[in-house]
Amino acid sequence: MRIPGLGNAADNPQHGTPGDDPEHHPRARDGRAPNVMRIGEWVPMRQHRDEDEVDFAIVGTGAGGGTLACRLAEYGFSVVAFDAGPYFRPLEDFASDESHQSKLYWTDERIVDGENPLQMGSNNSGKAVGGSTVHYAMVALRFRPEWFKARTLMGYGADWPIDWREMWHYYDQVEDDLKISGPVSYPWGPHRRRYHRRAHEVNAAAKVLARGAEAMGIDWTPTPLATISAPRGDAPPCVYRGFCTLGCSTNAKQSVLVTYLPRALKAGAEIRDLAMVGRIETRNGRATGVHYHREGRWRFQRAKNVVVAGYAIETPRLLLMSANQEFPDGLANSSGLVGKNLMVQGNQAVWGVFDEEIRSYKGPPSLAISEHWNYDDEGRGAFAKDFFGGYSYMSQGPLPQLWANTQASARGLWGEALVAEMQRYNHVAGLKVVSEYMPQERNRVTLSDVEDQYGLPVARITYSWCDNDKALNRHALKFLRQALEAAGGREVWDQSDDTCHLNGTARMGHDPRTSVVDADCRSWDIPNLWICDGSVFPTVGGVNPSLTVQAVALRTADRIFATRAT
Amino acid sequence: MPTPSDRGPGSGSVLKRRVAPVRVEAAIHPVVVLAAVAAAAGLLTWFAAGRSKRLGPAPSEGRRYAPRGSAVTASAAQRLNHASSMLAASVLFDSGLEHYRGQFFNRVMYTPIIVSSITFASSLHGAGDTDPGSSRVRHAAQALAGLTGLIGFGYHAYNVGKREGGYSFQNLFYSAPIGAPMALTLAGLLGVVAERVRDANPQAPRLGGLPAGRVLALATAGMLAGTTLEAGLLHFRGAFQNPAMFVPVTLPPLAAALLVRAAGKPEGASQVGATWGMWAVSAMGIGGVAFHAYGVARMMGGFDNWRQNLIDGPPLPAPPSFSGVALGGLAALELLEHRPF
Repeated sequence: MRIPGLGNAADNPQHGTPGDDPEHHPRARDGRAPNVMRIGEWVPMRQHRDEDEVDFAIVGTGAGGGTLACRLAEYGFSVVAFDAGPYFRPLEDFASDESHQSKLYWTDERIVDGENPLQMGSNNSGKAVGGSTVHYAMVALRFRPEWFKARTLMGYGADWPIDWREMWHYYDQVEDDLKISGPVSYPWGPHRRRYHRRAHEVNAAAKVLARGAEAMGIDWTPTPLATISAPRGDAPPCVYRGFCTLGCSTNAKQSVLVTYLPRALKAGAEIRDLAMVGRIETRNGRATGVHYHREGRWRFQRAKNVVVAGYAIETPRLLLMSANQEFPDGLANSSGLVGKNLMVQGNQAVWGVFDEEIRSYKGPPSLAISEHWNYDDEGRGAFAKDFFGGYSYMSQGPLPQLWANTQASARGLWGEALVAEMQRYNHVAGLKVVSEYMPQERNRVTLSDVEDQYGLPVARITYSWCDNDKALNRHALKFLRQALEAAGGREVWDQSDDTCHLNGTARMGHDPRTSVVDADCRSWDIPNLWICDGSVFPTVGGVNPSLTVQAVALRTADRIFATRAT
Repeated sequence: MPTPSDRGPGSGSVLKRRVAPVRVEAAIHPVVVLAAVAAAAGLLTWFAAGRSKRLGPAPSEGRRYAPRGSAVTASAAQRLNHASSMLAASVLFDSGLEHYRGQFFNRVMYTPIIVSSITFASSLHGAGDTDPGSSRVRHAAQALAGLTGLIGFGYHAYNVGKREGGYSFQNLFYSAPIGAPMALTLAGLLGVVAERVRDANPQAPRLGGLPAGRVLALATAGMLAGTTLEAGLLHFRGAFQNPAMFVPVTLPPLAAALLVRAAGKPEGASQVGATWGMWAVSAMGIGGVAFHAYGVARMMGGFDNWRQNLIDGPPLPAPPSFSGVALGGLAALELLEHRPF
């Protein structure tokens, strides 16, 4: 028997599924956009003609672009935000199926090389309105204040041109906007305002982390997450479905798609889905608009200002693709740093088998965290720190297909061995780091000779670890292994090659010679060209970057508004 | 090869025909069994307590009480039984719901359901009894409830403390609610007091050697404070996301303060303010059910998905425990004013 209203449209044939195909036909058109909070409903959307010169053309609607579009529209600017991906309705379009949900990933062709080629797609880039926040793990952490002066205070990387106290203010704001569910008091760093929702109940996998941390004598806490633990408007509290990294079908997840973008639409912004921007036009040293591909043809949107927010691969790619006679090396590239200093974060893990049932897939994947090694610069004994930077580590909840993939790729299990290992799936728990890798100019994004479906050059992504990165990896794996064993894990094994998140490639700074944009995310070379996403990070820190991307976007909006006369 | 059962009835005269014993198998949900047991325990208590006595001449032992005095104690005792009934019912449904949610992981978790049913029956019985003079069965049942609540508190406190992180907010939020079993203790306490008041001297009722009205007023004020702490903790867990969630942490303490003030007034003085306070808290407890129902509707799937949301949403039976305590407060005010209302 099926109880009416249970689940969502994808689970319940009574509701039916939407008849349109968001992956091939734009939804945001004819003066309306999907109301992502209600099945089958729409909200009105203000629209602009291509020949109208809008105040802001924003390329990308993720953590950077979507957040910025909302705030700029609320400040009264006319805004058009472009996204190459579809405008999904989470309540209707998202299935409980790992393979199907890979539609959220940016799986366009990319070329990877270097000593440690990155795995692109699922874990680090999204192609949907709302960007990769639609499938992110919702981990909402603040940077350690010292990281904003990493070069001066800690002796590595580069300084940010923004003071941490200012960032603290914007962190407050974004945590309020997303109603982050976090612990009553956070064990690390300076005082912060209380989270707006209480932390979620921790699952068995998180309790493994807790037991390990307590045995190792370090602090742990329930992870601050961007999924609500008490209702908010039309969004119900999280029901611990566990498909967070494949799209939340209940809207408990506070992605940009269901938070800032509805606000943006209400404030008069226009969102164009399935609109791939291929080139930024300039004249007399200023950007004049963007060329974009939508509904089968290339069009040109005039704009007074252009914001690039395509994340750390597509942003440099677009800037480099837009090279013209005025800017032969690509836009905003007088420093030669566009595409350089690509930073990912370490995502190594240790896994073990437990006597008791764990069922780690229940609930959000990362329910407990320890940031100890982000704040302890010395370490002791076997865990004395011999590297710069730090790391946090979290409990994990891999879904079955991902877990089988991990077994096959990281451990080479196949056939009967793989089947046997999968039998123990419910008894497995793991700890996974998010660690700080160093910025290196040799890690970069360039253009290749290969063309994609739009006829645009495909990005070539070159990545290699430096010695510091490798030393950090060793420390993290050693510590995690001991923590997992202390929590009762048996047959512990290391997953040593995973990475996550993309940052750098258009860093901000004080000096036009050593950075691409200033503290306001305005490019040094072109006064009406802005970059607002993870690309602007000078250093990456040992925490998930989304909250910082969004805080920077809120600050950028305030700065644009404050300096609008100039 | 044909087996014996394949043969026709006549062919196997040597073999005695075997008939399997009749086995009665009915699919009865364990929860139904539990409900039946709880109901039976309640009914047994009801019958054991005997026939309710109507107000008549008091069993004469040479003394005659003035009618007004005995009317006050009888009315207060009945009101205390109303309070205890309300609390016991709240515990019955709330512990049923929450322990079902906990899948009766520990068999001890059946206890409060049966005990609160007994308490409920005994309190209802008392509520219909206008006779001065206590009932031993009811008295014992109420004492049992008080004790059960205390033991439950011990279990819940152990459950919170044994988890990773110990007595942290996280565990206070999500493991066994530490204050919840005390509601059963309160039900039992109020029920015991009801019996004691029935036995007390109607002219100057005393509890434990102290004036009954004062003691009861202070006690119910303390109970209100405790219930407020419990509601406060769980509403804090809900991040006070709806402003109405502040009502049960502000109104009851105010009313409790009025009760304390009432206890300080001379006997027989008017207690209008405190009385209104108690009625307000009673109403809040009932209104809270509606607010909790709204909260259930806001969970994913709302009431369409009631099987999940009644369990995981705000508990519908919880708010009336405030009403129960407030009714106890009204009984105290009756004794203080020395007139039934």
